[in-house]
Formats: sequence, structure tokens, C-alpha cells
Amino acid sequence: MLYQTTKDHESLRQAIREFAENEIKPIAFALDQNNEFPDEIVKKIGENNWMGLPYSKKDGGAGLDVISYAIAVEELSRVDGGVGVILSAHTSLGAYPVEAYGTKEQKEKYLVPMAKGEKIGAFGLTETEAGSDASGTQTTAILEGDHYILNGSKIFITNAPKADIYIVFAVTTPDIGTHGISAFIVEKGWEGFTFSDPYDKLGIRSSTTAELHFNNVKVPKENLLGQEGQGFRIAMQTLDGGRIGIAAQALGIAQGAYEAALKYARERIQFGRPIAQQQSIAFKISDMATQLRAARFLVYSAAEMKHNELRYSVEAAMAKQYASDVCMKIVDDALQIHGGSGYMKGMDVERFYRDAKITTIYEGTNEIQRLVISANLIGRMPKSKKSAGGVAAKKAEPITGVRKREMIQTDTAQEAVDILVENLKKDGFDFTVGIDLNTPIVDSDRVVSVGKGIGSEDNMELAKQLAHAAGASIGASRPVAESMYLLPLERYIGMSGQKFKGNLYIALGISGAVQHLKGIKDAGTIVAINNNPGSAIFKNCDYGIVGDLNEIMPLLIEAFGTEEKKPAPPMKRIRKAKPRKLAPAYGVYVCTGCGYEYDPELGDPEGEIDPGLTFENLPDNWECPECQTVKADFIEEKYPADRQ
Amino acid sequence: MYNIRKITDDLYFVGGNDHRLELFENMFPIPDGVSYNSYLLMDEKTVLIDSVDWAITRDYLRKIEIVLDGRDLDYMLIHHMEPDHCGAIEEVCLRYPKLSIISSEQAFDIMRQIGYDIPEDRLIKVKEGDTMSFGKHTFAFVEAPMVHWPEVIMSFDTYDGTLFSSDGFGSFGAIDGKMFADEVDFERDWLDEARRYYTNIVGKYGPFVQDVLKKASGLPIQRICPLHGLVWRENLGYILEKYDKWSSYEPEAHGVLIVYATMYGNTENASQELANDIVQKGVKDVKVYDVSSTPVSQLIAESFKYSHIVIACVTYNLGIYPPMKNFLMDMQALNLQNRTIGIVENGTWACNVGDLIEEFFDEEMKLMDVLSDRVTINTSLNIGNRNDMDALADSIVESVNNLKELKAKQG
Repeated sequence: MLYQTTKDHESLRQAIREFAENEIKPIAFALDQNNEFPDEIVKKIGENNWMGLPYSKKDGGAGLDVISYAIAVEELSRVDGGVGVILSAHTSLGAYPVEAYGTKEQKEKYLVPMAKGEKIGAFGLTETEAGSDASGTQTTAILEGDHYILNGSKIFITNAPKADIYIVFAVTTPDIGTHGISAFIVEKGWEGFTFSDPYDKLGIRSSTTAELHFNNVKVPKENLLGQEGQGFRIAMQTLDGGRIGIAAQALGIAQGAYEAALKYARERIQFGRPIAQQQSIAFKISDMATQLRAARFLVYSAAEMKHNELRYSVEAAMAKQYASDVCMKIVDDALQIHGGSGYMKGMDVERFYRDAKITTIYEGTNEIQRLVISANLIGRMPKSKKSAGGVAAKKAEPITGVRKREMIQTDTAQEAVDILVENLKKDGFDFTVGIDLNTPIVDSDRVVSVGKGIGSEDNMELAKQLAHAAGASIGASRPVAESMYLLPLERYIGMSGQKFKGNLYIALGISGAVQHLKGIKDAGTIVAINNNPGSAIFKNCDYGIVGDLNEIMPLLIEAFGTEEKKPAPPMKRIRKAKPRKLAPAYGVYVCTGCGYEYDPELGDPEGEIDPGLTFENLPDNWECPECQTVKADFIEEKYPADRQ
Repeated sequence: MYNIRKITDDLYFVGGNDHRLELFENMFPIPDGVSYNSYLLMDEKTVLIDSVDWAITRDYLRKIEIVLDGRDLDYMLIHHMEPDHCGAIEEVCLRYPKLSIISSEQAFDIMRQIGYDIPEDRLIKVKEGDTMSFGKHTFAFVEAPMVHWPEVIMSFDTYDGTLFSSDGFGSFGAIDGKMFADEVDFERDWLDEARRYYTNIVGKYGPFVQDVLKKASGLPIQRICPLHGLVWRENLGYILEKYDKWSSYEPEAHGVLIVYATMYGNTENASQELANDIVQKGVKDVKVYDVSSTPVSQLIAESFKYSHIVIACVTYNLGIYPPMKNFLMDMQALNLQNRTIGIVENGTWACNVGDLIEEFFDEEMKLMDVLSDRVTINTSLNIGNRNDMDALADSIVESVNNLKELKAKQG
């Protein structure tokens, strides 16, 4: 085969280059100086049908291939790296997720205007605590009726606040890491969705970057992109493609710097001849051209693989990492060739030098790219307990999860009670409101619950008074209902009884049997009062007081207040649905000789294959460990579309 | 006479039925018996296609003799070397000493392992893409490894579009005079047994079946002749679609299978309550089985059919009740995936079975989504369980509806 772009590719390149030279180049310095987003230019790019190059005509795009898109980013970046990234972030990050995961309606509503260039797209993944590691995502989306309520912030968002449509990632199921993240399509202008001032950046200053702030933003249910829990998969797949865009941007910046350096070196005369004729400069130029050619092949090859729907994550990572690394070197050499002139504002190389740096950082730092590449080649340390490398320690955690476990130790019971009530009030509990004592546990926002430590029926009246004072309903542990008959069966809390999912649980004389703790693991705040400091309940509470119930209950009643309570607002119940599982992101292959399935999590210890190595990366001479069938005779398993 | 039926002008059915065998593969109950199918092609050459179990060999030899009507037998074509199809190979070779056997290389290895002593010069090895002409009829050979043994080949008669599909498209159940799927009410009387056959015998090998279906989609197939059960010559799309679903582990029905393990009826009662709730909440396709008294092969077949499975189980020796454990292990062995699971657990003093079951689905099986709403019973359902029972039923109904919606969206 001939490694060459087609005629169509080159005529597209010519058209974009002319546009960039004529329309962008004259204003590039001003845009950079003024930190100014080129609204008119972006509009014209859309009118030229370049805002949706790789998308089908049906979806409003140009129906071209991914190489065409890479060429467009490259050519814009060759003149202005900022304009290049506007197109890249819009096409790869804003429009792509809708194209890949959107429903018909979502595509019509969002992809078509983006691909036509009528609307600008952006992508919101990064947060202060979630950069390279998305599992730190703190933005939440909670389903309430027909809407998700979005809260949180995103930082470093390219195209914000200019973009109209944002693909935003938020946690829909907490505590399960990246599996609990979902993607949403969010429109600018929705109530509660605001932006910070754009950042003042080192380079790519013609592009705009800002923070996104979500304050109870109502996102219609139909704007969930893909399925709940699919967000991380969507983000990773999107970033794979985005890497091609950034690689093309780096390639374009480097190309621009190289051309400027070559021109300057031919014109600048020292010691009686152009410095281009000095070997030290000539060799720099030859290295630049060589690196450019290598980078270009990597970028176009990854683009071609994507277009042909091959696995291209590793190749895109290689292209992004290599193109941006050599871009840094090329802009450095280009500026060096310019000498002192290159250091002055107004010179293109000065701008290229600053524009280049971001390409080794965003859409996956080059360290992360190397991680992607190396993990594919070498495998990684086993992490699941199924893995061959020994049993991974299961994180030991109290049954009710990680709690504050604040033990209130004071000289007198009165002091302890005062501190407890003060803390609860500080946490936002309002003890002027309350619910009926007999509210079903499942509907109760607060419960005062008694265990065997209550002693006898005589103390139940006190417990009920306490429940009233705390604005709570009354509950119990199993034995209290089952054997002591102090409350009806439907009021005991535990694994086999009622589950408490409200905000405040006050456990009186409850020791904390496993089955009881399992029934309160979703409680907001757990308060434990018990005379045995060794009780398991203290390892599972937020606030604990060791003491005698007979002494503490009256004090608590007094502290909460015995007045008639105003009716509490209705409790909001949050349903915690686990997202559906997704098929592995790597290919799963089975042996035609015996049905053996190669599991990358396990590797093949006898064949000296480390866990983590995908089937594709096994050596060609690898054989089935069960029946010695050769690698080439394995076939790939397919998974249902809704599990991808 | 002699129970011989014509499939086409040149092709005769010479197999037979077995009603005396109680357990197929000494494991699967077959109350309706089973047929061992063998076909005889009468072209310029005579070709006996596959063979039968030793149990019916006497009648089988007689039928061959009658159809041959004095001609010699030239070839024997063996697609699959499992003994229910090759019990008579040696005997046929003794009676027709000039015949050659056509099969795959690995099939001949298995023949030698069984101990059939057939001279090397009478063995014709074929592989993917090879063809052989017997006169009018030219057969093209297709390799179908691990459907469900590694040596399996299928062959396609390019003259009249007959696919000899080996164990593929087979079924439990003796055919008892019927020959074609269009001669019976297949959906009513045969589908369950066809499913039970496929899922238990071939179920694990979905990816390989998908591979063969892909190859077959390019062939102008007119009829399918399997090694068990009825021949297909009409409405082939129907059975192909079933195979596509089964082999891609897509449920056929958006409904609920409840399998319970009960010792004294308490878990059974809870299962019936749950079934009642689910039906009343709008999902009507609900089936309930007792794991102790239902053949596991039937439970497996139903698991492949339904999208949602509820496991209701008692704690036994601080573990999973053994018959239920056996069912779960079988489900895993057969590679079932892509289902939603609900759990009802019961225990009188230390109820831990729900955690064990959930962990099994999460760690040992693929794409099994365990619903977080679980019902925990201490010995017997009481009023305190009402909310949890409601939550589980709601969660199942919601999940069934979500799945329907998702599938509708995908078109």
C-alpha cells in the first residue's frame, strides 16, 4: 500500500489552508493578545461545512472520514492553535458522544445543529478532584421524577462559556467508583447552570476555557446519554477520539513553527550566507521535518483505524503523545532558529511556543498516554480477587460504611448531650419540626430506635417522649419487637425487617447485631447511646455517647425540646439503583479447539503471560493452555449492543 | 414400511427413535424420547450421512439395506463423533467393506480413541471449504468447531440447498412418524424441548454458534437436517432467529422466572407472594419452579428464555441450599449471561445466603445485574417484610419495563 492521503484529502487541506491564511492569520496576533474568541471565524468554519466533517450527512455532517477531520484541525492549528482546538473540542468531545451513544431524538436535537456548526459543543469531565482519575468525580445527578438534579462544578472546560451544548459527567450511583458515572446533555441557559470568568492562559488564547457550575440544574430524563453507569465508558471512548484531534493540533502547531523557521533560516544571513546553510541549523530543520513526517503518519493512521472501526485506543495514545512531544521540541528549535527575534511578541513562533505546551497536558497528559500504551503491551498488576497473583485484600469497612465515629467524652452526661445536640443542629437538623410517632419506618426521615438495653416496658414511655422531642417516629431492634413485644413487628429495623433510609437514626441501647446494622446502612446520620463502649454500634455511628439510658434520655428530651412540633416537610426518598453491567472494553476471545476463554484479568500464568494483557497483545505464537490450539484460531465473542 | 421417509427425491431418513433411554447423556431426562437421525443419499454414489446410537442399530442396518436395494454403500459422511451418532459406524463398515468414511481430521482421532479399527486408506479427511461430488449432489464442508465438540463439521448440498447441521437445530423428543417441523405445532409442542436441548447441550458455546450462523447467512439454505428431531423445510427464519437469541444470550421473553429452594414451605410461600405481586403490578409472564423437584435442565432452559430471574433460597449449613447451588453452578457452566437477578433469602438464625448468591453472580458470571432490593426472611414471611417485598416487586417490574423500553429504542 501507498501511505498517502487522497486527492480529496489534499483539496480539503488546500481549502482550509487558504481560509486559515486569509481569514485567521491576519488577526491571530490580536486574538492572542486580547484573549479573544473568534466568533466570526467559527461561524464561517460552520458555513464551510467543516464543523461536522466526520459525521454523516443525515446527521448534519459532511460525510467525510476521520483523516479529513484531522487535516482540518491540523491546518487551522498551523496558523492558530487556539482555533484548532475549538474545532477539535467541538467535533471530538462535544458532538462525538451524541453520535456514538445518542438516541434518534438526541441526534436530531443536538448532533445535527452541532455538525452543521449552528451550535458549539463542549465536554465536561474534569473536576478539582477528578482529572486523570475520573473515579474522583463529585458532581452528582439525582433522579427526581422526570428530571435529574445536577450539582457540582467542572474545571478547565474548553469552549466554555461560548459553547451551547455540554456533555457533562456526573455520579448517579455513589460509592461504586467509575461504574456509577453517567453522561448528560446539558444546554447553556438552563436555570442554575453558570460559568466562571474564562481563564487567562499561557497559550491557545483565542480559544476560551472556563469552569462550569451546576446548582440544582434540572436536566430532563431524556437528556441522559446512553444508560446510567455508562458515563465512564462514554468518556473514555470519547477521549480516545479526542486524542486524534489533539495530536492533529500538535502536528499543525509544529508544522506552522517548522515552516516559519525554514523561511526565516533561508532569509537570515550571517557570516555571508543564509543560516539555513549552516549545518547546525540545517540539521535542526531536517530533524524537524523527519519528526513531523513520523507524527503525521501516526495521526493519520490512528484516524484511519477509527474510521474503519478498528480498536485504536493505543494508536491514538501513541499519536497524541508523540505528536505533542515532538511539537514541544520543534517549537523550541524553531524559536531558537529565530534567535532574539523569536522571543518578541508578534512573531508567530513566540505564539506557537506558548500554544504548544497544552498539547502534552490536556485530554490525557502524556504520562497517562504512556500508561495506556504500556498497560496494553505489558499488562498490569492484578486487581480483582479472581486474579492469579494472590488474593487482593478486601477493604475492611464497617457495615454501615465510613462514618464519623465521633465519641463524645465529657465529665457529665449533660455536657455530652449538649455537644451532641449542638453538632446535630450544626449538621442542619431542625428540631422544631417533626413527624408522627407511628409514621411507617420507610417513610420516616428520623427514627428513635430502642434495643434490648431499654430494659423493660416501663422505659418505653420515655423513649416515645424522646422520639417526639427529636421529631422522629419510634422503632426498635428485632428482639424488642419479636420477643419483648414492646412494638409491633412492622416497626423493627434490620435486614429482615424495615430498612431505614432517612436522615437521622438515634439508637438507644442497641448493641449493633450485623442484621440490625445492615438495616441502617443507608441512614444519613447515626447516633448511638449505649452503656457498653465495646458495642459494635459505636464502630458504625457518627456520634456516640457511652452512658446510662435512664440518665441520658431525659436530658436529651429537654435538649431537643418538648414543645409541639411543626409538621416536617415530606421526606425525599432516593432510590439507589445499580447501573447495568457493561461488556468488557477489551476483546474477549474463545478457543475453537476446546471452548477455553482467555481472560485478560488472569493472563496465562503457565504461558508466562501477565494479567492485564489483552488477547490482541498476546504473542503470535501463544497457544491455548488447555488444548494447544494456536492464537489465530480463536474467535471473538460478541456482546449485545445495549451492553457495550 | 420400516419407518423410512423421503426428505427429497434422493434423500431418505434411515434414523430412528428411542423411547427406552431415560437419561440423555446419562443426565437429562427425556420423557418424550429422542430421535437419532441418519440420512441416506442415493446419487451416482451412495452416501450414508451420519449414524445412530447402538441402541437402535439393528433396525438401522435393515433400513439401509432396504433403501440401497442391492446397491453397495460408497461413503459414510460423519459430521459429529459423539457416540449417540456413531454407535453403528464399525458395524456399517463391516457390512460394506468397500465404503470410505468422510470426516474431519479430529473426528478420525476420536474414532481411534473409541477403538474403531478402520484402515487409513478408507478415511477421507475434509476441512473448511472442501467440496465433494457424489453425482448430481455436490457437498461443501463447513467447520463448526465447538458446536458443541471440536471436531464438528456441517455440510451443505449445493444442488438442493440442504444443510446437514450436525447437533445444531436438534431437539429432544422422538419424532414418532413426523418428519418435518411443518407437520407439527412446533411452538406449542416442540419449542420447549428444542430450547432445553440447545441450552443444556450447546448453551456454553454461544460465540461458536454465532460464528456458524454468520457463515450460514451467506448460503441459500432450503432445508435443515439435524441429528436429532425434526427436519426444517419451511419458515427457516423462525428457528434461525431462536438460535440467534439463544446463542447471543438475549432473552426471548421479558418476564420473570422464580426458582425457589424451600425446606418446609416458607420460602415457597414467599415466592408465591412475590409472583402474585409481580403479576398484579403488571408483568404477567411469570413462572415459578421448585428447585428440588424440577430437572435442572428445565430450569436452565427457562433461564435462557426469561430476562429476569429471582433466586429464593434458604440458608443451609451456612451456605447455599445444595440443589440451588447445583442450579447456579450449571447456569455458570453454560455461560448464561445478560440477565437481571432478584434475591429472596431465608435463614432462621444466621441468614447469609443472599450475600453468597449475590457474590456468585457478581464474581463468577458475566453481565448479571443483581437488583439491590433484596428480601430477607427470618424463617417465615411476616408483616415486617411487606416493604421489602413491595420494593423487590417494584424493582423487578420497573427493570422489566426499562428493558422493554431499551429494546424498543434500539428497534
